[in-house]
Amino acid sequence: MTSSNPPTGQPGVPVLEVRNISKSYGGAKALEGVSLALQAGHVHCLAGENGCGKSTLIKIISGAERPDGGEIFIDGKPHPFMTPSQAIKEGIQVIYQDFSLFPNLTVAENIVLTSVVAKRSKVFSAGKNRPAAEHIVKELGLTLDLDKDVERLSVADKQLTAICRALVSEARVIIMDEPTTALTHSEVARLFGIVRKLQDRGVALVFVSHKLEEALQVSQDLTILRNGIHVVSGPTTGFDRRSLIKHMTGRAVNETRLITSPQLEERPVLSVRSLSVSGAFHDVAFDLHRGEILGITGLLGSGRSEIAESLFGVLPADSGTVEVEGKTVRIRSIDDAIRAGIGYVPEDRLTQGLFLEKSIADNIIAGSVDKHRRGPILLDSGKVSSSIRRLFDQLRIKAPNVLAPVRSLSGGNAQRVVLAKWLANQPKVLMLNGPTVGVDVGSKEEILAVLREQAGNGMGVLVISDDVPELVTVCNRVLIVRQGAVVDVLEGDAVNGTAIEELMAA
Amino acid sequence: MAQTKNQPDLHTPGGFNARIDNGMGAMLGRLTRDRSVVRMLVLLVAAFAFFTLLRPSIFLNPLNLENIAVSAPEIGILAIAMMLAMLTGGIDLSVVAIANFTAITITTLYAGLAAGNPGQANSLLPLILLLGLALAAVAGWFNGFLIGVVGITPILATLATMQILNGIAVVWTGGQTLYGAPEALSVIAKTTIVGVPVLFLFFLLIAVVVAVLVNVTPLGLKLQLQGANPVAARYSGIGSRRVLTSTYVTSGLLGGLAGIVFIARNPTASADYGSSYVLLVIVIAVLGGTNPAGGFATVAGVVLATLTLQVVSSGFNALRLSAYEYSIAQGVILIAVMIADQMRFRSRRRKRDLQPPVPAAPETQGKS
Ligand SMILES: Nc1ncnc2c1ncn2[C@@H]1O[C@H](COP(=O)(O)OP(=O)(O)OP(=O)(O)O)[C@@H](O)[C@H]1O
Ligand SMILES: [Mg+2]
Repeated sequence: MTSSNPPTGQPGVPVLEVRNISKSYGGAKALEGVSLALQAGHVHCLAGENGCGKSTLIKIISGAERPDGGEIFIDGKPHPFMTPSQAIKEGIQVIYQDFSLFPNLTVAENIVLTSVVAKRSKVFSAGKNRPAAEHIVKELGLTLDLDKDVERLSVADKQLTAICRALVSEARVIIMDEPTTALTHSEVARLFGIVRKLQDRGVALVFVSHKLEEALQVSQDLTILRNGIHVVSGPTTGFDRRSLIKHMTGRAVNETRLITSPQLEERPVLSVRSLSVSGAFHDVAFDLHRGEILGITGLLGSGRSEIAESLFGVLPADSGTVEVEGKTVRIRSIDDAIRAGIGYVPEDRLTQGLFLEKSIADNIIAGSVDKHRRGPILLDSGKVSSSIRRLFDQLRIKAPNVLAPVRSLSGGNAQRVVLAKWLANQPKVLMLNGPTVGVDVGSKEEILAVLREQAGNGMGVLVISDDVPELVTVCNRVLIVRQGAVVDVLEGDAVNGTAIEELMAA
Repeated sequence: MAQTKNQPDLHTPGGFNARIDNGMGAMLGRLTRDRSVVRMLVLLVAAFAFFTLLRPSIFLNPLNLENIAVSAPEIGILAIAMMLAMLTGGIDLSVVAIANFTAITITTLYAGLAAGNPGQANSLLPLILLLGLALAAVAGWFNGFLIGVVGITPILATLATMQILNGIAVVWTGGQTLYGAPEALSVIAKTTIVGVPVLFLFFLLIAVVVAVLVNVTPLGLKLQLQGANPVAARYSGIGSRRVLTSTYVTSGLLGGLAGIVFIARNPTASADYGSSYVLLVIVIAVLGGTNPAGGFATVAGVVLATLTLQVVSSGFNALRLSAYEYSIAQGVILIAVMIADQMRFRSRRRKRDLQPPVPAAPETQGKS
């Protein structure tokens, strides 16, 4: 699917080039001598494992971080001291991995803000710029409420807002750091449509994604980093999924279906009957046994997330019954759910899952403070540190030490911290919404192995995901949700990619 | 060099494990890393040296030093209470009013009893003190209820409580100064142990208890997490009602204890005692490294900040400067410390992150 590339600038001179970029954080090297050249009209894919330095490189290009060494050239002209506003004025737009939106401004205000900076306007008038925001939202075929405050949006809508912001101004370089993590297939398709239009206009793009199919499909050039070091660059046509993974991880990764069929106890650990939340889903019924991994999938808005949120007490059900280990439980609040033994790794990990300024250690222990008591008033510090150490090791969180603030972690490593928090709690039922969003292929395999292991130890695991290969790899059964109802259950050999995709969209 | 970033000792026992296992080492490491504490220590020493140089005879006079040690506790205890509320991302404007209310209650009850039968009043003193503290706890609980259950913003909820308590106090006392506070307290307040006033030791004891509460109890950890990100706290099953109620009950109780210190130091009570304390106490909490946005604070920092301001205050006295000049100095110190924070933050960025980064908010990492 490579598009033709009629570049507008002079051929040969890259629109943007970085040479020999190095950067370290407190002695740990994040980048070492990395170079990259962006051609007009090309999409350049930047790939590599979690924490290999992709976002750091992007932040250096956009002026958000200052490199320790190396050079940045725009149209062949050196820019030794890049600052964010300078980058914007040079026509560099970035969709950051954490979106970097203003939560207390509206969608429209967020979308037009940087383009106003680019135009060097002294006064900011959201009203005057509103048509531009409307236009880009329409072009992407979205139903975003322009007047809603960003802090009240879902993750997907936040991501779409960040995308719109980058696309609205006349950028010459657009950098997308994992722009599709929360998007549906149709939204991704529309985004790629716009990407192709931008290419035709001669815009140079950078694309980062752990969804390798997307990366291979959309890009013409490819650069792979590993541990902050440049591994290989070349035209995308020279790579396929296998070789990409090999270069990224230095090993082969097993992505085939690997499930055990546990001896199911007669009594399910979680039993749900005719559960309904008006406007979200209705009459949902299923059983989950100890040792089982059950997938729940469906398109965005199908109600798949709401089912989990309801079981976790965020969105209390209007009717229906929930039993945990045969006992009926009333779940009206998160505390009810946790007391009943239900844990939830939420989709929006930045706001709901993590204490960004707090240490990894504090985050890991946050969900199980009361399980680490010694006597009535004290924390058992020995038990606390051994729990933290065990999970830090088991999930292979990449950080200098457990006291580092979570804010300093790469996206995929932050996701592991949320997972660790819930594993520390050892709930009877663990629900995970998008457990490997933003996680690299190698780590994904590891995280799924952790889920298998937890199930093997007797946990009931519920995976809410629209990542079809992931569901196929790890789930014993998969529930398909469409328009708020469970329309099908796949089991055994019926759990395969084509079946799931057809049923989801049908 | 490919492995430099992927420090090999991470996943093997030994490396960081040793660091978190070794409790004492970790504590020391934390203390030295804790910039707000170090900073306050430097500031305290500097202030002390400054006034010693200017007015050695007056400033180093034992009476002056004792004066500092006796006047610091009441403000320090209030500042610690304020720090607790700020740690959860809130504030407690009512804490001084609670202290006064407790002082007035105790004085009224005691004086009333003592008028009839002094012996009985003295034997009932412990009970009277407990009653005063109980009232303080109830006032704190009321704050917690308004904030945690009803959901009123802390600054407004505690403002309301402050107004109510101040109003009651004025009506009750008729705006007069009450005399006849328990003498036994004044006697205790005047004793010293190896030259250190008992009141000061009491202050240190409270500081240690609160430091333990914050750092090694489940409640303390929850309190920090609640302040760091209330939404994530909710999703982690940290019951915010319980946490907030406990916090404000504790800060109320500390207010009550400060009230007892009031009357121990000065056997009178009046509705307008310490009216300038509320803002002073906020200044001290922030100077001591408390992040007003919540999530980070250190008791040690607050203790040092209290002492620093007391030193400055008595130094100004020695220089015959007025309370207004002292107030100017408070503001200047606060701004200077905040600017130093900013400069260090920027210069560290310029020095290319030789040190681990700090959250964008004020650098108030770590605990005491
Ligand atoms: N502010 C920071 N302070 C300390 N270390 C940091 C900071 N930002 C990034 N790092 C470290 O630098 C390394 C590279 O991080 P980066 O975010 O660039 O990874 P990434 O390739 O984008 O990973 P992911 O795919 O998970 O998003 C990581 O080891 C990370 O922990
Ligand atoms: Mg990243």
